[in-house]
Amino acid sequence: MDSLTIAVPTGRLMDGAASLLARLGLPLDRSGEDRRLLVEFPGSVRVLVTKPMDLLTYVEQGVADAGMIGRDMILEQGRDVYELLDLGFGACRAVVALPEAQVTRLWQPGRNLRIATKYPRLAGRYFEEIARAVEIVVLYGSVELAPLVGLADGIVDLVMTGKTLRENHLCEVAEIARSSARLVVSRGSLSRSSRLSEFVERLQTLLADRERGVHA
Amino acid sequence: MRIRGADRPRWRQLPAGVRDQTAEEVAARRRLESRLLEVFARWGYVEVATPTLEYLDTLVHGAGPGLGDRLLKLVDSGGEVLTLRPEMTVPLARFAATRLLPAGRHPLRLAYVATVFRGQERGSGRLREFTQAGVELIGEAGVQADVEVIALAAEALLTAGVDRPAISVGHAGFLRGILGTLPDAAAGAARDLLYRKAFADLEGVIATGPVLEALRLLPSLRGPDALDRAQALATTAESRAALEALREVLDGVVAHAQPVRVEVNLGLIRDFEYYSGIVFEAHAPRGGMPLLGGGRYDDLMARFGHPAPATGFAVGLEERVLDAVAEKARLRPAVAVRYAPGAYRTAVQIATRLRKVGLAAVIAPAGSSAGSGPAVCTVTVGPDGFTVEAGGRLRAVAADDVLDAVRSAIGAGVWIP
Repeated sequence: MDSLTIAVPTGRLMDGAASLLARLGLPLDRSGEDRRLLVEFPGSVRVLVTKPMDLLTYVEQGVADAGMIGRDMILEQGRDVYELLDLGFGACRAVVALPEAQVTRLWQPGRNLRIATKYPRLAGRYFEEIARAVEIVVLYGSVELAPLVGLADGIVDLVMTGKTLRENHLCEVAEIARSSARLVVSRGSLSRSSRLSEFVERLQTLLADRERGVHA
Repeated sequence: MRIRGADRPRWRQLPAGVRDQTAEEVAARRRLESRLLEVFARWGYVEVATPTLEYLDTLVHGAGPGLGDRLLKLVDSGGEVLTLRPEMTVPLARFAATRLLPAGRHPLRLAYVATVFRGQERGSGRLREFTQAGVELIGEAGVQADVEVIALAAEALLTAGVDRPAISVGHAGFLRGILGTLPDAAAGAARDLLYRKAFADLEGVIATGPVLEALRLLPSLRGPDALDRAQALATTAESRAALEALREVLDGVVAHAQPVRVEVNLGLIRDFEYYSGIVFEAHAPRGGMPLLGGGRYDDLMARFGHPAPATGFAVGLEERVLDAVAEKARLRPAVAVRYAPGAYRTAVQIATRLRKVGLAAVIAPAGSSAGSGPAVCTVTVGPDGFTVEAGGRLRAVAADDVLDAVRSAIGAGVWIP
């Protein structure tokens, strides 16, 4: 029998991914004790736990047949994978935010604008579209800090509730993209694996039930 | 800008995505190349070549502006932007449309083995320089031509010895037919998403309804009953014609009776936007990216001034393909011809005779190293005559018997050039 490998990301999407997997009979130990990165289940099913930044590489190379990952990461990395389903959790938005007192700077073309972000390609494409010249500073964590200390004039980041922005006196000035968790599938696996098709169908049924408010 | 320290020299490293190849690796690649060209030749495809360099304009004219980011470009002394070709279909379309077809030759069956180049694919682990082998059948519109090219693709995979190859076949017209029922703006937005394989984003640009349903079902339309399931979604003449063409092509391919799984996959989306009809790709049991891909591109030749239907495929000679032939590819057995002082002239005569029969001969003074290559046999030209040594066994031979002694020492028929 062919094997089936599903990749899930650590971080903010882990809870949602683990809950879907549990409903499909693939419970991950979430007690915090379990540090395994590769979990084997009966029937040659494996779950791979990766950093969100790395997940698409595993799927693109076909090492994982499918993965659950935010649309933000798909847009940022532009990898060659099929994005099949909206998994309905992990909703957030990628926005441009500037300090409350300086929001008009975005629309002052004479002004140089430095934008700190974890999403340089996503941000770059947006500013290209609105034809605003910016300088992009790539950071790997807490980008809200950058405008507070003068490293950047503004940020591009994901927001869920907007609380972090408010606490750091940042004000959303534009929405770049909406994101939620997606099911991505490798080109090779989609072409050859009937186990993957079956997994996608079960997931689809589960999501449809969820949408209708049916709780199995 | 940071200046690199002289203590951290770059000369040990290669640029990302390019590789050196050892003698064994080159032998495996050459063997595969010549076997593929031989198969192509037996199907009537003649080998042609185009230059490595093309104008950026040529490639964008053929493959669309989306190609720009994926190219390796350079600027020549006149300020022209040149590119290293990323694939062979557009260069061959240019060659055929501007020179071969106007000369009245048609249909054309062209084959190639070529090094192709891609722009930097940041950290993806993909190669920027690799070899592709492929064919183009130009000037034939019928289903027969599609069948021929798919069957030849299967033959190429079998020739390469790929484990359990599977070919998926789709049709660009099925999708085009479905999108044709949408207003232009929505169809364009949907096409952009589908080109990125972003099926989950479709509901953002298309209203809920049968078209959205049909598009979202595309990736699941694969396997033996896919055509029957797709029938209900084919609401336009173009979609129905696409399914009919797929059915005929599959019937035709079955007639070739090759041990290769060929099945319908209507979710297939190819990388280049010039595809207009039947499209196909082949996958190995492992790996995310296809081994081989191709399809029909009936509008491309017209862009170069000579309309003609065309179809073809390319297979990348990458590890998954080369590994299958690597074990069978052998280096030529080498014979070391060593000479004592004063015997150089005789050693040259011996080496020349060995070379004439296809063996590798390396001349070296006795006592020195014979240099590179796996020497399986040593002939020593001494002051008192000749010795032949192989596998630890040494024997003295007469001048006229050296060749026979070497042949029997390395095993008769061991080398088939």
